[in-house]
Formats: sequence, C-alpha cells, structure tokens
Amino acid sequence: MNFRACLRVLGVSVTVFLLLSSGLSAAATPEFEIEIRNHLFQPDVLTIPAGIKVKLIIYNRDPTPEEFESYELNREKVIPGGRKAVVFIGPLAPGRYPFFGEFNPQTALGTIVVEAESDATQ
Amino acid sequence: MLLNSVIIVLREVLEAALMLSVLLASERFLHVTRRWVLPAILLGLAGAATYGYFLDPVSELFDGVGQEVCNALLQFATFVLIALLAFQVPQQLRSAPRRRSNRIALLMAAMVIMAFTREGSEIYIYVSGFWNVTDFFSAVALGSIVGGCIGFSIGVLIYYLLLARPLRQEPAISIILLALIGAGLASQAVRLLIQADWISSAGAIWDTSFLLSEQSLLGQLAYALVGYEASPSAVEAIVYLASLLFVALAYFSGKFANKVNEDTTL
Repeated sequence: MNFRACLRVLGVSVTVFLLLSSGLSAAATPEFEIEIRNHLFQPDVLTIPAGIKVKLIIYNRDPTPEEFESYELNREKVIPGGRKAVVFIGPLAPGRYPFFGEFNPQTALGTIVVEAESDATQ
Repeated sequence: MLLNSVIIVLREVLEAALMLSVLLASERFLHVTRRWVLPAILLGLAGAATYGYFLDPVSELFDGVGQEVCNALLQFATFVLIALLAFQVPQQLRSAPRRRSNRIALLMAAMVIMAFTREGSEIYIYVSGFWNVTDFFSAVALGSIVGGCIGFSIGVLIYYLLLARPLRQEPAISIILLALIGAGLASQAVRLLIQADWISSAGAIWDTSFLLSEQSLLGQLAYALVGYEASPSAVEAIVYLASLLFVALAYFSGKFANKVNEDTTL
C-alpha cells in the first residue's frame, strides 16, 4: 500500500463517517429558551423532562460574548454578543446539572433540573 | 476577572502547546526540517483571528450549529493527519537521517495550523469581547498573558520530558501520544456533533468525575493530552477506541508497506 492508496482508504472512511453522522432524528424536539442579561442567566433554573432530547436556545442580550459551558452536560459553546445559540441536550437522567458562563463565571450561573415525567405533571 | 482569564486562556493554549511539543519532540528521531514551525504558527494565528472574526456568520450556518460543525471538521481533519503521519513514520525511521521528509513537515505544519486556529479563535473572541470594556480590559489582558505563559511553560516542560533520557530513544512514545491526542480530538468532534444534534446519543455510560474532575488542572491536562472525558456517551467511547485502533493500523500498514518495498527493491 503506497501513500496514495492510503489517502484513498482515508477518503472512503471520511465519507462513511459523514454518512453515519448525518442520521437525523425526525421526532419533534421540545424547545426551551434562556437569556443572558448583565452576565446573568434568566431563568437560572430551568426544568426539563427526563429521558428525551431537548433544544436549548440561548439568547445573549449582552454586547460581550459569553461561553455557555457545563461539565455535567458535556456542553460548551461560544455565543457572540447580541446573538443566539442553539444547543441540544439529553436524553438525561433525573437530577441537577449546573451550567455557567465561562467568560463571567462569578455571576453567570444556572442549573438544568431534569425531572421524571410523573414528577413534572404533579 | 484576572484569575478567570488566566484559566480560559490556559485551557486553550495548553491544547495547542501540547500538540506542538509532541511534534517537535518527535523530530529528534524523524529528522524533519524545522523550517515549517514559524510559518505554521503564524498561519495558525492568522487563522485564529479570521475564524474568530467570522464566528458570527459561521455560527448561523446549519440552523445555528455551524460552530460545532466547523470545530468538529477541524478536529477530525487533525485526527486524519495524525493517522497519515503514523503511516509515514516507519518509512522515515528507515531512511532518516539521510533523507529529510517534506511530506512529514507538511503534515505537521497542517496539524499545528489547525490546532492554533481552533484554540486561538476562542481566545480572540474572549479578548476582543472585552476590548471596549475599559474596567476589565487590563485584568483580561494581564490574565491572558499569564495564562498564555503558563500554557507555553507546560508545553516546554513536556517537550523536554519527551527528550529526557529514558524516553528520547523511543519513537513509540511520541506515536502513542499522538494517537491519544488524535483519538481525543475524534471523540470531541463526535461530542460536538451530538451537541449539534447531527448524531444522536443515549446519554453518558459512566461518570468518573469523582476520581478526576474535568475542572481541575490535572483534568484539563488529561483532556488536552488524552481527551479525558468524565462522563462520555457510548458513541464517544467507541469512536475513541476505534480511532486509537485506526492510528495503530495506519502505523503497522506503513511498516508493512515499507517492508514490501524493501523486499522488491533488493
């Protein structure tokens, strides 16, 4: 196998990877919105249902950039000033998942509370 | 604010510095010219500024997940280059130091450019965001410089560690380190695509954050070096292992190809 053959094998594997990764999920995903104002999250506690995927839309109303970050949720994303960001989370087990704004971690703090469906309806 | 900027910049610099250190240390046995280093760093910094400047429109792509897709592409491309490098290494080990390999120098330069672009863009966005906030700017600037210096120092430390007596004779150490960095990048790319909802995931399969927190300095170092992730999903773990295997396969097929070539020329 020469260098060129090796490149060809890589090309095929990249294509397979991209094809596999484009498997889109069709089911409607519930959306939740969070705002950043004066380096604070509003709301700072957000309750979402357990066991399903959820779409978070985070509006950065500050002129400065922020990075939405959570070690517990395994998420991080830079949001330029005055912009919004989309972050998908879940499916998650019931519990509390803290998140923070990495650029202003003293003030920008919040928690995603994941509740089982039966708890949420009570 | 000061400590905060130290940590943010350190995190980003650490990853790029580690990549550069391992590549530079592997030149000890690969005998590649070093002329690529400065241009690659400069191009990487230019790439970082460009990517950071255009982050706004990039973020809007693909229904608001352009950032994830772009970063995942950069990370996956770096992984592919690492596999190509592993394929080239056996041949170069045979012919070095007689022959210098431009191909290896090019691969290394491309890796460094992409690492600096990816990590540097985030620093660019952070620092430029505070450019007009006069109350904070001096703290952010000072913190960034301190963070950058710490990250650079750790890179230098790892470089000399790799050149130290028991390790310097061992090309395998550098290749294993590169394979680990590559597998970490590939699984991080997958994590970004999960975040973008391009790949679906069933959630974390284990949680080792009580053993080693990702927030700690050691956790950050492990993240940069071996792609440590306290609570990975099944897809991430599988991709991590598959990537390690893939780099090993590339290395051994390079070795095999080299042997076949030699047999036919003799």
